[in-house]
Amino acid sequence: MEDETFTDISGKSICLDCQSHSSFCREFTVSSPKVSIGKVMVYTCSVWLLAYAVFFLTQNTAVLSSAILITLVGMMFHIHFVKVDHETLLVIGSLGIQVSSSYASGREITTFIEMSKIKDIVINEAIYMHQIIYYLCVLLKDPSEPSAVSSVVPLFQSSKPRLNCLVKVYKSCQEILSKSQ
Amino acid sequence: MVENSPSPLPERAIYGFVLFLGSQFGFFLYCLWAFIPEDWLHSIGLTYWPQKYWALAVPIYLLVALTISLLLLLGVNFSNTAPLHSVDNITGRNMCQPVNEVEKILPKVDQKNEQKVFLSQSLVLKGLICQKAAIRTI
Repeated sequence: MEDETFTDISGKSICLDCQSHSSFCREFTVSSPKVSIGKVMVYTCSVWLLAYAVFFLTQNTAVLSSAILITLVGMMFHIHFVKVDHETLLVIGSLGIQVSSSYASGREITTFIEMSKIKDIVINEAIYMHQIIYYLCVLLKDPSEPSAVSSVVPLFQSSKPRLNCLVKVYKSCQEILSKSQ
Repeated sequence: MVENSPSPLPERAIYGFVLFLGSQFGFFLYCLWAFIPEDWLHSIGLTYWPQKYWALAVPIYLLVALTISLLLLLGVNFSNTAPLHSVDNITGRNMCQPVNEVEKILPKVDQKNEQKVFLSQSLVLKGLICQKAAIRTI
């Protein structure tokens, strides 16, 4: 369980944890940094100061209560739907791959892809907004047409790690996948 | 085939100079129309010309349209870029039909009709080899 400084594409530090459960089963977890209390306080204070300023001008008390409501609902929405805590990739040789991402509120979304549908796991390079990034993706194939790529499932989408992290995960995955295909 | 190159040519110099003179003259006429009061223009006999409002409005419209079209072009580029989960991002010879199938479909090369066959071969290859990568229009 080494801990070199991995970062995501915008420079924020992330954490990679590789666990080898057996010779054909490995689990990789990429964790993003938690929600910082300073940022929460800054956002809350700025929204409430703005609401107080509007109240000072208009003398309407509904502004204050609506600002409190907006802050609470916004925070709940953010930690339940937006903020991803960690993403895991579980590779089980000759069975399949399980991809799961868990949010800061505890919600987990899991998908399982069986081995017959998987063509390969590759590091691909693509244009993302104004930059070109590397990302790890699973190439899926249709069992009836094994030589063509039917779809692509990108991995670690919320915490986009940089190439050094991806290479580590890729090498480890390929050891298992090459044995089972 | 004539090679297209951006080097200076005598014809291009002449076109450029004609455009330069024409645009300077057009600007001079526009300034005349914009600055001379309406009464003087009416007294000469030029009565059916647009309102002076347009002397300001048209340049402003054009500049705003230019700025918005620049931002719009950027937006169109971003929205046309293939998302990370699309198959268009995967480019590689191993991703498509294997090469021996392509060879079966290609016509045999005939000594006499080599030119025509070469053209049809390249068209067939373009049709069979896999889809383009995400193309950005710049």
